[in-house]
Amino acid sequence: MTSVNAAFGELAAERRIASAPLSHVSIELGHLYMEDFEAGPERLREQFGRVAPWAAAVRSGWQRRIPGGRARVSTCFLIDDYFSRFSTPAELVPMVLEAAAEHDLSIDYLARESSCAEADGVELARLVEGRLVDDPPPGTTGSRPPVKETGWLCNGSRSPRPGSVQAMGPAQRWAPPVQNAKRGHSIFVDVELWDENGGRRTWSCPFLAAVWQLLRLGMLRTEGELPLRPVPAGASWPARWDDLPPIVQLNDQAAPFSAYTTLSVLSPRFLPVELAVRTVLSQVAVDAEVLEQVRRRSDGEGVALEDEIVDRVTYVFG
Amino acid sequence: MLIFAISDKGGTGRSVTSTNIGYRHALQGNDVCYLDFDFGSPTAGAIFSVSSVARGTRNGGLHEYLRGGCAEPHRVDVWTESDREGLRTKPPGAGRLVLLPGSEGGGELSAVDDEMVRRCVQLFGRLEEEFDLCMVDVSAGRSFTAEMVLQASVRLPSIPFRWLVFHRWTRQHIIAADGLVTGADGLLDAGARFGHDPEELRDRIRFVRTAVLEPDAAELVGLRDEQRAWLSACDAELRELAGRHGVGRTAMLGKVPLDPVLQWREQLISDEDVLASKIANAETAAAFDELAKKIVDDSAWEGL
Amino acid sequence: MLVMGEVHTALLQNSGEIQEPVCRQVLGLMAGETVRVSRRPIAHALSPDLLTGVDCRLPSASQARVRAVGTVVSRCAITGGRVAQGSSYVRVERAAVDRRLSWSHYLSRPGVAEVLGKAKAGDLAAGFLDGAPPDCLDLGAISGRFLDLAQSSPLLDRRAPFRIPRTRLRWVTEVGEPSIRFTLHSDQVRTVRIAHPEPFTPALAALCEDLALHDWLLTTLLVLVERAGIGSAPGAQAAAKLAPAVDHLLHLWMPGAHVGESLAPYWESLDRRPGFTRQWRTLEDRVRDQVALNTLTLLSITAQTGRRCQ
Ligand SMILES: Nc1ncnc2c1ncn2[C@@H]1O[C@H](COP(=O)(O)OP(=O)(O)OP(=O)(O)O)[C@@H](O)[C@H]1O
Ligand SMILES: [Mg+2]
Repeated sequence: MTSVNAAFGELAAERRIASAPLSHVSIELGHLYMEDFEAGPERLREQFGRVAPWAAAVRSGWQRRIPGGRARVSTCFLIDDYFSRFSTPAELVPMVLEAAAEHDLSIDYLARESSCAEADGVELARLVEGRLVDDPPPGTTGSRPPVKETGWLCNGSRSPRPGSVQAMGPAQRWAPPVQNAKRGHSIFVDVELWDENGGRRTWSCPFLAAVWQLLRLGMLRTEGELPLRPVPAGASWPARWDDLPPIVQLNDQAAPFSAYTTLSVLSPRFLPVELAVRTVLSQVAVDAEVLEQVRRRSDGEGVALEDEIVDRVTYVFG
Repeated sequence: MLIFAISDKGGTGRSVTSTNIGYRHALQGNDVCYLDFDFGSPTAGAIFSVSSVARGTRNGGLHEYLRGGCAEPHRVDVWTESDREGLRTKPPGAGRLVLLPGSEGGGELSAVDDEMVRRCVQLFGRLEEEFDLCMVDVSAGRSFTAEMVLQASVRLPSIPFRWLVFHRWTRQHIIAADGLVTGADGLLDAGARFGHDPEELRDRIRFVRTAVLEPDAAELVGLRDEQRAWLSACDAELRELAGRHGVGRTAMLGKVPLDPVLQWREQLISDEDVLASKIANAETAAAFDELAKKIVDDSAWEGL
Repeated sequence: MLVMGEVHTALLQNSGEIQEPVCRQVLGLMAGETVRVSRRPIAHALSPDLLTGVDCRLPSASQARVRAVGTVVSRCAITGGRVAQGSSYVRVERAAVDRRLSWSHYLSRPGVAEVLGKAKAGDLAAGFLDGAPPDCLDLGAISGRFLDLAQSSPLLDRRAPFRIPRTRLRWVTEVGEPSIRFTLHSDQVRTVRIAHPEPFTPALAALCEDLALHDWLLTTLLVLVERAGIGSAPGAQAAAKLAPAVDHLLHLWMPGAHVGESLAPYWESLDRRPGFTRQWRTLEDRVRDQVALNTLTLLSITAQTGRRCQ
């Protein structure tokens, strides 16, 4: 015997990353806030009426793109139970489903906004916060830690603080903030990620919306596992929001919840929020292994994806 | 171990005494680092006879480091970079002796921000990994520098630290030294505000008397009886005053006699200065040597 | 083009070695990410990889102004529950367009810094290994901070058995005929230059971390032996000063333990020349002999006093 090939493995030493089932596109049919609810079912119907043609267009667009027309399209609907609590699932959900059905829209998945902060003991918002890699202004050598304004994230350099740091030294003068990737002139964006009151952290709406996008893109993992999986709807709707699973699957034939790309149909009043969402998304470092998994899958089925995560998120404002 | 050297008044002998203590501590076999935090006038380089940094360094001074201007402060290895022949070889058995000079032309801090404290914490934490003793010249009086190190030491609960308050043996100096510790916005007051336990902090503070002229000193041999009697009376009065101000024997770590060499020049007193050239007094070297042992001798730091 | 990295290595600031659960907590630098732990042949724990954004000049031997934008990969490691490391590296590649793009572009290629404009790999490698000037990419500062993260963990008691400086090892790998060159610079700085026929994989970074670890062990043991003053100091005193080496270091020498099979030849060639393991074994013998000799002396003294008492 000359040599023996020995193999030795240690599971704890390896990184194993679960892969997410993926549709081609995840269409968000709506996002319900208290004010919409208070405006009554008419407002909901109107919303779905606006969304329906766009959803149909996107669906047929993907069907044309995919050989055999077998595009996997899933739809979802988000209810805000984080910033304000209103009504009950038992009262609200049937109303939403009915209004959607009137426009021939079927909602595949229903999600609660608070699950983007925390669900089933997993703090999704914290996971994403830990993955923020700040956009470095030119001249960032790594010699000092990134300049942070706790709880804020921006796309450039903030104005320097006035005042001097040395006795009898020159005082700092005001200077404008600058966008890092500016072309000619700056569009400087500074997003509040969270604030804290009495030790309790409240995540901002754009930050949770960024988490929501990443969740729909199947980009999040905790300890290598998918943080949330849709749960089939029960026979009846609970009376408390906390008793509703974070993501409920309403249609058992639905294509997977997460997808290569997302589409959200929104009222233009959400434009500033989505600018903030994109500012956040473009500074989230998704796990390299997850990126690679998705790339391999999409390549495998001949779907060309944008390299940048933020470019896989699309909108219709109208 | 971090030692913070402070005094209420300027020109008390804080820098000369603390550098000599650091030097002696290195000779005793410990790795020592000296940090010149006297940002307004960084002159430790001159005392170590490193002329290239006599008034601080142009690149990578501590001031610059704390402001975030460089990733790591400039280091000077005294054993190789000193201009004094007698210092340029590391004596057998001695530890490292490294100087972190201030920035040339630096000024006093005009404020302390959180970022600065963070950098100070980082610096102390890293130096603690490799040096037995870090001697920090905090400059005179209530300053932002003192505030910064008070804040930094709170954030490093497992790194031991001690304060040395230097003062001369005069009425004004005794009262001032006490005021710096116990007065309004003094070390204890400000320390408590930043989260130190005042009792514990008090136990970590000792006084060092500098340039002391003992009534029985050799220098006084030629004095008239009247003069000697007057000096003795003064000394007794000062001792009583010191006792009342909590600056008395129990809170004192040691005293350094007035030395002719130091009166003329700010420098390290080497054994050669005492034994070979005989320019310095043996008592002075012995006092530094003794202090260098006492700063780490826990029995000298038991609760008052 | 090339990959460059820097590893800082230090004695973990704790009185004794720490156990796996503590290691996991100390290195749990990112929510939802597991610490990778292997136990054989020596305990080795690795934090998740974290990214730092940079946009700055790259060091260049010819002082050329080369700008790069991208992310640096960093992590912390603890070996044997005793030695901590902060390690960073970046793959330097030519950008497709010569202007800065939106940040999301760089995040889609984690661990890559794209060079805007022209640059020569050899020039960058030499500039980096020489030690970068202040306004250039500073991998050392990043690694230093990662090491701080481990060292300042509240789970450590900070009562390390001896004081010792950190060492820093800068490394560069390029594609080419297999070769490795290890250079000692100052007391604390080392450089490694590797040519490897295959494209870069993180295993090469792991090799450099392993080299840095063993170089630190050797450097540290040399310092401890020197401090003990064998021969000049009394035997008992020398033996006492060597005790921390026996307690904390001697069992840690395990070259190549976490280096892939295919990279093992690099270690082997360094072990032939300059012969790291040979030097380690010699020192180890010296330490053990000194301690044994002292024990013998003590025993014979005890025996003598014992006889006298009888
Ligand atoms: N034991 C001593 N005997 C005689 N002169 C001394 C003694 N100690 C210090 N001096 C002298 O006193 C003067 C002031 O000393 P030093 O510069 O150390 O004071 P300092 O407290 O650091 O002053 P500053 O606040 O200006 O930094 C120097 O000229 C020094 O040489
Ligand atoms: Mg001074």
